Amino acid sequence: MKFTIDWLNEYVNTDGITSVELADHLTMLGLEVDAVTELFQDLAPIQTALVLSVERHPDADSLSLCQVAVGAETLQIVCGAPNVRPGLTTAIALPGTTLPGGVKIKKSKVRGIESYGMLCSERELGLGSGHGGIMELPADTPHGQSFINALGLSDTLVEVDLTPNRSDCASVIGIAREIAGILRRPLTLPVESAAIQASCATFSVEIESSELCPRYAARLITGVTIAPSPWWLRKRLLSIGLRPINNVVDITNLVMMEYGQPLHAFDFDKLADKKIIVRHPRTGELDFITLDGVARKLDAEMLMICDSVQPVAVAGIMGGMNSEVSDTTTAILLESACFDPVSIRKTARKLNLSSEASYRFERGVDPGGCLLAMERAVRLLCEVAGGTAEPGGVDKYYGQKPFNTLTLRISRTSELLGIPLDYEKIADALISIGFRCKEKDADTLWVGAPSFRVDIDREIDLVEEVARLIGYNTIPATLPTVQLSYPEQDTDRIIRAKTGTLLTGIGYFEAINYSFTSEKHLQWLGLAEGDPRCRLVRLVNPLSEDQSVMRTMLLPGLLENVERNINFQKTAIKLFETGKVFSPKGANEQPLEKMHLAGVLSGNRFGESSPYHCKQQAVDILDAKGVVEYLLQGLQLLGEGASSPLHITFPAQDRMEPFADPLQVLAVSAGDLELGSIARILPAILRKFGIKQDVFFFDLDLDVLCQLAPVAKNFTALPVFPAVNRDIAMLVPETVAAGALVDAVLQAQDPLIEQCEIFDVYQGDSVKSGFKSVALSVTYRSTQKTLTEKNVEKVHARIVNMLGAKFEGTLREG
Amino acid sequence: MEQKLLSLQDEAGKNLDQLVDAGQLEDFRIRYLGRKGLFSTIMRELGAVDQEERPRVGQLANTIKEEIEKLFDEKKALLGSSAQSGAKGASSIDLSLPGRYPERGRLHPVTQIMNEVCSIFEAMGFSVAEGPDVEQDHYNFEALNIPAHHPARDMHDTFYVSDSILLRTHTSPMQARIMESQQPPLRVIAPGKVYRCDSDITHTPMFHQVEGFLVDTKVSFADLKGILTVFTQKMFDKDLPLRFRPSFFPFTEPSAEVDIACVICGGSGCRVCKQTGWLEILGAGMIDPEVFKMVGYDPEIYSGFAFGLGIERIAMLKYGINDIRLYYENDLRFLAQF
Repeated sequence: MKFTIDWLNEYVNTDGITSVELADHLTMLGLEVDAVTELFQDLAPIQTALVLSVERHPDADSLSLCQVAVGAETLQIVCGAPNVRPGLTTAIALPGTTLPGGVKIKKSKVRGIESYGMLCSERELGLGSGHGGIMELPADTPHGQSFINALGLSDTLVEVDLTPNRSDCASVIGIAREIAGILRRPLTLPVESAAIQASCATFSVEIESSELCPRYAARLITGVTIAPSPWWLRKRLLSIGLRPINNVVDITNLVMMEYGQPLHAFDFDKLADKKIIVRHPRTGELDFITLDGVARKLDAEMLMICDSVQPVAVAGIMGGMNSEVSDTTTAILLESACFDPVSIRKTARKLNLSSEASYRFERGVDPGGCLLAMERAVRLLCEVAGGTAEPGGVDKYYGQKPFNTLTLRISRTSELLGIPLDYEKIADALISIGFRCKEKDADTLWVGAPSFRVDIDREIDLVEEVARLIGYNTIPATLPTVQLSYPEQDTDRIIRAKTGTLLTGIGYFEAINYSFTSEKHLQWLGLAEGDPRCRLVRLVNPLSEDQSVMRTMLLPGLLENVERNINFQKTAIKLFETGKVFSPKGANEQPLEKMHLAGVLSGNRFGESSPYHCKQQAVDILDAKGVVEYLLQGLQLLGEGASSPLHITFPAQDRMEPFADPLQVLAVSAGDLELGSIARILPAILRKFGIKQDVFFFDLDLDVLCQLAPVAKNFTALPVFPAVNRDIAMLVPETVAAGALVDAVLQAQDPLIEQCEIFDVYQGDSVKSGFKSVALSVTYRSTQKTLTEKNVEKVHARIVNMLGAKFEGTLREG
Repeated sequence: MEQKLLSLQDEAGKNLDQLVDAGQLEDFRIRYLGRKGLFSTIMRELGAVDQEERPRVGQLANTIKEEIEKLFDEKKALLGSSAQSGAKGASSIDLSLPGRYPERGRLHPVTQIMNEVCSIFEAMGFSVAEGPDVEQDHYNFEALNIPAHHPARDMHDTFYVSDSILLRTHTSPMQARIMESQQPPLRVIAPGKVYRCDSDITHTPMFHQVEGFLVDTKVSFADLKGILTVFTQKMFDKDLPLRFRPSFFPFTEPSAEVDIACVICGGSGCRVCKQTGWLEILGAGMIDPEVFKMVGYDPEIYSGFAFGLGIERIAMLKYGINDIRLYYENDLRFLAQF
């Protein structure tokens, strides 16, 4: 809602209150001021000028050579306007001035003749669309003055961000009422009361759908002359950004802004049979052209204003071309009505058409105010457009409600607000903005809400009014007295927080990507049609194709992040994301939401570390495997060796990811539960995402992970006797997995074997082709005694033999 | 002589302790260890010592000389290295080289602020609950007193999945979800992602909110002010001015918006606060009786308040981030700043 302070002053005197104070009052009343702007500042350099003489330009018939007085100076100006004539007072832009459109005025030669400025039209000053030549100012306007001051344009625009409940403040009078209340100053209205005495015989109104039209009032004004509005009226509209059209349309707009009551003017002679019918359109009437020239498709639910033959307006939203006021109009049927908010809203939505009128009707217009606004407009039409109001009119008022009287408990108000209040304080506050109060009993008030407050119908609404009017800042800040209780903690959240701590601790940065993504990413990853991750939850109204489906995996978003970072020369990348993925259930059912944790690694392993200490090295699949092991250990989900409930293994064929390098992929599982995967992404897939360097990733189903029982922390007595280390270097066929050797050693379950680790895997010159050397370090320890060489030798030899037999290996010499 | 050697050792040790520069060190060497130094002088007396005592005293003299020389070398090394203050020197380590430590990543700034917000409320006894991102129209709107075709729906640019399923536009549905399954007293916060179809320099189609509510008997608007004042002061600065002003939400009445004094200009007015000196940080209000009725609470017995705040906005104010889109680009140069 926009208004100016000059306009506001018509209804309430704001002398002595600065615009900043005024804005602050409004904001603290719940009418949040968005902006306060000095108007027409771009016209500040424009001056008034008097044309003294006009001669024809010697070299151009269409140009005039004028002598123009601007204060003490007389300037020579070349002007092309047809209406320039001696004695005309107009607006001049002197050299150095920039016009609102951005044109800079310079001293120039026009067809060889010097011109010291430009006489301006309305359009050039951004004040209207008039093509009729330069501005014609009232003859008594002195020249050499500031144009803004001479026209009284100087004013301050205030923009209020109205909440949907305060439709009463979608009007300058509504705002003025609030200001008058808070300042305790009187409110002056242009029309205080109005009534329609008798019906008018010249036209008739029928309401077929009275439930959607609680009130319909109309009057006839004849003898109207359509013309541009006088300056004061155009100025009002211009100051709030509305385009003046003609006197009749401008008056309906002015009164709508003033009273908040939308009005519509029909060209009476275009209404068939001088009849108005409020009804739904019939089949065959579903094509309609609105005032803005757009062809609309109607439906049978929409409410239309019709004459005896056809629709002439979309009720409460916009008039039709077929009944538009034109330059030749002489009789006006003025409508001041009230329509059902939901019906208006549905229609506006369906037509994708909203107007100042629909904005107000959607939020609720006071049916009680129809006649006041009508009376104000009728008077202006007579005064400004030379019309004559036909006596009487029509007022169909089906939706009249009984006077709205509520009760308000003083104790309840005080308790809810947390501040002691009494009758006087409450009544004083409410009365200041037009409520009526009466004492019912010691604790209760009768409160009559004014009809324009369509938002007030419960006690709590009054409590809010009281709070608003006494000021939220007068209410103290206290802490509630509550019963102590232990807030139960969500273990999933705790595990999620822990993963974040663990991963950031080893150099991973957390990413957050949108939950919606593009379907093409799944195609890029090469997912098969039957893949469950291709079953998508789709948005009906996405912002773009790239954000049209809910994600089923975190990988695509992370790959986009990788691509972006590489583009910005950050090539060492370790990112993780914890977020939901979505899969559809039935139609009109909420989808399944699962929490996943995924990460990507690429580029230098030691990206964030000092290159002095850590020479550049590319990450590989074992880094990805390592993160997962580290994470699962940190979450106490991965125990030592064979006792672990979790396994990271080469996946079964049916768990192969299409985007994973088939030689560098691992599956994470716990028994039958599938927890996730670790893989090198295929370069061909990466290229689709615009990535040219190796990327590894891991993905874990956090929901499943959170259900696993952690490995118990159990104390083992510290060893008393020393350990003995023995190394084994086995030559085995290169197809044997090094890890299998370790597993075999541990599975030998000799009580003396404490640990077995791989410390080297070698293939090269000294190793025959098709074989590799795997070096193991085995730790032996007894809980009973200090081991002797002999004790160890026996077990060790057995292990070596076992490995040799099991893996076709031989002990490597030297 | 034996006595002289011992007192020389004692004296030399004390003198050495007091030396502070290389010049003094050289003087010391000449005085004690030089060819004409005190030690040599005493050694000349060795010939006068009894024949059978001589090897023992000679041995002692050697030990003492070695001892003094060792102390001298240590002192020299000490003075030498400090004189070079860590630079050069083949045997000394260059301490200007970077320290060695494992890499460190960071949590996303949104997560950091979210954690901070949650822990403030958890410390006041609020429990944390999470709900679905894809929500029923019922919980997102109807149960919050926003019927179909209510103009308040304009305040929520909603992404729909079907007629009755949508991406939640706020975390407020958790109010209805929790109240319908639990009885007061309740103190709950609900953090999470929310979605609106809006995208420009100040809006992303997805962002994060924390909803909070407290329901009990005799909860007042003053209590709402109290809790949110504590929160704001912990989150920002204990002396930061704060104001509550009337607003409108269909599920609270009276409703309020809470502003803090602009952290950029300190309240004098700037571009960020649109010259008002205030920045809106959260919306709140007393839970509307209609919302209570829908979950079967008697509004004559119970009252309560609810609030909702935007995490991105708080992070922007706290860290001075000027473009909300940066949050979801996951640019490491951005993530590494927090």
